[in-house]
Amino acid sequence: MIIRLLARRPVAAGIGLIAALALPWLIYPPVAMDIMAWALLAVAVDLLLGYGGLLSFGHAAFWGTSAYTTGLIALHTGLPFPVAIVGGALAAAALAVPIGYLSVRLSGIYFAMVTLAFAQMIYFIVNQWRDVTGGENGLQGVPRELLGADLSDPFYFYYAGLPFVLLGLWAAWRIVRSPFGQVLVSIRDNPSRARALGYPVDRYRLLAFVLSAALAGLGGGVFAISHGFASLHDVYWTTSGQAVMMVILGGIGTLWGAVLGAAVIVTLNDYLATAGFEETGIVTGAIFVLIVLLFRKGLWGTGRDLLTAARARRARPAESGEDRKVEVATERPAAVAERSGG
Amino acid sequence: MKAKGLSIAVVTAGALLAGCGGGPGGGGGKISDGGVTLAVLNDQSAVYADLSGKNSVTAVEMAVADYKAKYGDKAVADKIEVISADHQNKPDLANSKAQELYDRRRADVILDVPSSAAALAVATQAKAKKKIFIDIGAATTELEGKQCNKYTFHYGYNTYMLANGTGSTVTADGAKTWYIVYPDYAFGQDMNKSFTAAIQKAGGTVVRSDPTPFPNDNFSTFLLKAPNLNPKPQVLGTMQAGGDLVNLVKQYNEYKLQDKGIDLAVGLMFITDIHSLGPDALAGTTFTDPWYWNANQQNRAWADKFMAKTGTRPSFAHAANYSAALQYLEAVQRAGTDDADAVVKELEGHTFNDVFADNATIRAEDHLLLHDVELAQVKPSSEVKEPWDYEKILKTIPAEQAFQPADGSCRL
Repeated sequence: MIIRLLARRPVAAGIGLIAALALPWLIYPPVAMDIMAWALLAVAVDLLLGYGGLLSFGHAAFWGTSAYTTGLIALHTGLPFPVAIVGGALAAAALAVPIGYLSVRLSGIYFAMVTLAFAQMIYFIVNQWRDVTGGENGLQGVPRELLGADLSDPFYFYYAGLPFVLLGLWAAWRIVRSPFGQVLVSIRDNPSRARALGYPVDRYRLLAFVLSAALAGLGGGVFAISHGFASLHDVYWTTSGQAVMMVILGGIGTLWGAVLGAAVIVTLNDYLATAGFEETGIVTGAIFVLIVLLFRKGLWGTGRDLLTAARARRARPAESGEDRKVEVATERPAAVAERSGG
Repeated sequence: MKAKGLSIAVVTAGALLAGCGGGPGGGGGKISDGGVTLAVLNDQSAVYADLSGKNSVTAVEMAVADYKAKYGDKAVADKIEVISADHQNKPDLANSKAQELYDRRRADVILDVPSSAAALAVATQAKAKKKIFIDIGAATTELEGKQCNKYTFHYGYNTYMLANGTGSTVTADGAKTWYIVYPDYAFGQDMNKSFTAAIQKAGGTVVRSDPTPFPNDNFSTFLLKAPNLNPKPQVLGTMQAGGDLVNLVKQYNEYKLQDKGIDLAVGLMFITDIHSLGPDALAGTTFTDPWYWNANQQNRAWADKFMAKTGTRPSFAHAANYSAALQYLEAVQRAGTDDADAVVKELEGHTFNDVFADNATIRAEDHLLLHDVELAQVKPSSEVKEPWDYEKILKTIPAEQAFQPADGSCRL
């Protein structure tokens, strides 16, 4: 009963929304905002990786570019922060056009390396251009202006920043579910065939890349306003790496898995900061290895499989369920959604 | 699960309410929230873990013990707690942890915070929350410059002190011509500027200064160039830090530049760097150290106590954390309260001597701690008598010469 209920889209979305709204009550509000911002970045990476088959190792470029752009707009123009965030996301998208144009022709490890290289170039520029970016000191003292409202309390700011994240997540979901998303999946599975069917493969990939960058930028903007600064760390490759790690933890090609992955990593980092371990890297690394080994499809993917398997067993209790499992293991997220939605 | 979630929510709500109710000068009580809480926020797992890290927490605990022993029943702060957090060298984590420490864990003061982006972010939080922040680990002069604020103090060292101490002293001692290599980012550029100014003031010339990529493994282009410059430089001044410094020094030794008459002076080096490289790799190198454990009997006695607790010798950062915690508690004692504004007033302009800081003043204009610093030279291993005995003190640079004059860029 519960299982069937959980699988219904409005119910699941409702639970997700309640969880998002309740988050700052359960954990420290700035950390909650971090989770939401990182979730956007992870979803952006998953959009490319899970649906486009392109592993970007350079999303820090878009996240960071937006963080700095948002910060600069908020700092120098005094415009309300939503304008700054939108400006940041647009800057990230604009940057993604040339980078994407040059990278989407490649795939696999080459694509990952080229995006990493571009991201490092952006890092270099941000580090060097200290009159504008503040170099390694970062861009400090970014205000949170919103029509005179006092948002200095991170608890209230969370609710001011949340709409952007929800908008971004909704956009990602729409993209994946749209005909565009379906074409993207077909390109991922068989680019030659998609080309033969008349789809301009590179252009589809480029658009996916730009959309993904815009989402990453949205997250970066929220992050910069939430923390009140942008730092070199935002454009460093470890940020890209962390986003990829979130996606793998949550489950590639699951979209919501990336959100879950972000929640796990951010909470873990936050917990380890005061836990008193000296080797935080070893702890995060071990957890990563364990999850990859035990949950091959990530937390979300494995959970979803278990749920579907449980439903199947309930629906056809007489059968052994052996052949059923095989089918479950290969089905695509879209197929699940279709069956559960209606 | 549900019950747990609920209880967390209740606790959170409670903490939020408490956070709003408390704050600076909270009512009639002398000590807010039932005690004084010192929080050490630093890097306990990444590059600065050895320099400061967990052992700084121990140093702060030593300061608390000494304060209690000194004042006994008369101590204004009778209940003192030391807490810590690891920012993993991530500015964003430092930022949210600082908020959490001030708001929810009731920290009255945050100490340490290495790396400049993290330090400046925490300074912004200190200003917003009106709570005290004493930075030790970061080198940026912005903390007492444009981005200074009433509640932030900078304690121990900064880029100006490092550059000026080494640059002017080495030049005054006869090495008039310099070749400077610096990593091409804000820290390196600042160091290059400060060094050049100090060298010229002392009557020397900078033959050439070259930016190097950052990070970089291969410095051969620059090192091979050095002996052929005209006039030939007497000193190679390197502003590299950490892993880059290690590479540069190794290559400097491989090319035997010292035999070619070019000495090495290092902008930023800590005893932990000498320890990891081995003294022979750096022997003869001149650098400025804010504090050295074996410089005198008083330092050594403290270092022995520190070693009994941690099993290692203290770096300057450990001693500075001890001193900062002690001076904070002394200020609380004088003020008779832990109210941030009252303690700031006590700290401003305060002059003192302690294990870390000789002839020390906390400058009222910009909250920079001025104190005597050491010009040190790395000993060759033949002269090293015991573990960590790496430095020969060439001279003590008096406080007023060691640090920059207040330039008016700070408005508290």
